[in-house]
Amino acid sequence: MRLLVIEDDATLRETLCSQLADEGFGIEQAADGREGLYFALEYPIDLAIVDLGLPEISGLDLIRQLREKGKTYPILILTARDRWQDKVDGLSAGADDYVVKPFHFEEVTARVNALLRRSGGWASSTLSAGPVMLDTSRQELRVSERSIELTSYEYKIIEHLMIRAGEVISKTELTDRLYDQDFERDSNVIEVFIGRLRKKMDPDNTIKPIETLRGRGYRFALERNQDV
Amino acid sequence: MSSLSARLLISVSVLLLLFFGATIVVLDIAFRDVGEKAREDILDGQLMTLLAAAEPNAAGELEMPAGLPEPRFGNVGSGLYADLQDSDGNHLWRSPSSLGLELPHGPVTRLGAQQFSRLIMEDGTPLMSLSIAVEWELPDGELKPYIFYVAESLDSFNAQVARYRRQLFTWFGAIAIIMLFSISLLMRGVLRPLRRIEQEISEIEKGNRQSLSEGFPTELSGVARNMNVLIGSERARSERYRQTLDNLAHSLKTPLAAMRAILTQQKSPSLTEQLDPQISQMTEIVRYQLRKPAASASDAIGATPVPLEAELSRLVDALRKVYGEKDPTIDLSVTEDAEFRGDTGDFLELAGNLLDNACKWCESQVSLTIRPANDAGGMLLTVDDDGPGIPEDAAEALLQRGSRLDESAPGHGIGLAVVRDIARSYGGTVSIEASYLGGASMTVVIPPAAQR
Repeated sequence: MRLLVIEDDATLRETLCSQLADEGFGIEQAADGREGLYFALEYPIDLAIVDLGLPEISGLDLIRQLREKGKTYPILILTARDRWQDKVDGLSAGADDYVVKPFHFEEVTARVNALLRRSGGWASSTLSAGPVMLDTSRQELRVSERSIELTSYEYKIIEHLMIRAGEVISKTELTDRLYDQDFERDSNVIEVFIGRLRKKMDPDNTIKPIETLRGRGYRFALERNQDV
Repeated sequence: MSSLSARLLISVSVLLLLFFGATIVVLDIAFRDVGEKAREDILDGQLMTLLAAAEPNAAGELEMPAGLPEPRFGNVGSGLYADLQDSDGNHLWRSPSSLGLELPHGPVTRLGAQQFSRLIMEDGTPLMSLSIAVEWELPDGELKPYIFYVAESLDSFNAQVARYRRQLFTWFGAIAIIMLFSISLLMRGVLRPLRRIEQEISEIEKGNRQSLSEGFPTELSGVARNMNVLIGSERARSERYRQTLDNLAHSLKTPLAAMRAILTQQKSPSLTEQLDPQISQMTEIVRYQLRKPAASASDAIGATPVPLEAELSRLVDALRKVYGEKDPTIDLSVTEDAEFRGDTGDFLELAGNLLDNACKWCESQVSLTIRPANDAGGMLLTVDDDGPGIPEDAAEALLQRGSRLDESAPGHGIGLAVVRDIARSYGGTVSIEASYLGGASMTVVIPPAAQR
């Protein structure tokens, strides 16, 4: 998944980007509003993190323009202004959530994950499809009420697949999610993880949660359960 | 004397009293003088008549004829008297009108000189008398001195003067009353612009008006202009002050965020353990102490009522986004005559912090009600939730936070302290109780602008 980070403070932007990259996100970064708007409009972006106090084009204007131009991906505001007036202005301009500076990095990843989940069509933090239940706040996977132990790599992959259940996710995207961008892409490590996940979740090969589409990628194949 | 009108009326009354008093005295003296002169002339004429009528008789003495041309000499008690004496003071003749009366006589100085005198008769009647000593040449050629004397009672004259005085007092009194009445009417008109200024200032205080209007009289337009300048500069000053604090806070937060990001990147638990609390503490100090201060009562000069429902619906839309996964039910109930005069940001801060807390702690239910604080308006804002609630002793401590911020543990949010400070700056209060929903119920009471 590709994130766009628009923040004018170089130190903050670079550390934030490198930490998000460590979490497995693909990153685009911009230092001012004009550049940010260009990236936001022209690149395939899944979520944008926007500082409100930007040079050239203010964060608020940028968000408004994105929404006017039909971009619907989630936007997370980074703001130093923590009055409700500023938060409300940002959110009603079209942003989806905010993080007030100075934040803990974990806060940002938690919000980003929640927003991605929501944009994937999940209303709550527990994703449930057929017998499979993924509690993203506890990072816990259950299949038919049976708790399944996962490594953090395995968790990231099943989370990514489930968030975008029904969509085809390329191997490259999954690789990005696991490692830094410069990782050797040809490795078959993804196949290994997918194989392990299938074995853990579906030892009898009855529910077939993950589908392989040759040459295109993988898809979480179970129907989402309606929210109760 | 605190009233200008009263001051003016009293001064004018005193002046009128002095002025009219002096006028009355002068007119009275003039009238008396003219009257007395006329009386003297008449008396002089009477004396001449007597002199003309006197004839020497056979015995060689002067004698008055029986019928004189002036009939009043003949009527008893007519008020006009006369007699004729020889040089020894023996009465040769007395007018019939003086029958039975003892007429007082003034001194006679010298021959041929007329002598006017003011005398009082035995019964107290004032008299004006005129006497003249003459030498009469008798037919035998002898010169003999005589004293002719006429006197007139001043009763009727004095009555005339008294009537005249009464009329003077009546007329001047009436004029004075009319003048005072007109002046007080005039004052009302003249002072009307002052009343207008007073009214407009009170409208500004209540927030119904931004500045004083144009079109005051020349004497007041300077005051009005300066007043507007003062109001304007006061607003600008407090806005500048807020802006400065806000910018300062803003510019400190980004470096703090960078510090924290770098610290996270170091992946050193011991370093994080030492530095993170420090950063958190600085963060809270910046957030709380350098936050844009709430508008004070004087900043609220000319503040218009915040459109409560519109702002609340924006706020609730925002909160629904933020709490999208939890998706609590947020009930709003706003009574129409509730009113918050002041900064929109302050209102959002009050409602935002309370709703945010409620959404954070609730199971699924949040309710916000706004109604007037009392009959005169104002705002009573209550936020209820169905969360775990706040124990009574903890409630007090929660409201006290912020006043000793640097001692408190970081990371607990400062929303309630902010709410308390804003409420205080508007002369209001905050209280925490148990909610009918089962959780906490937070109430902010903001009195109407006029009662702050």
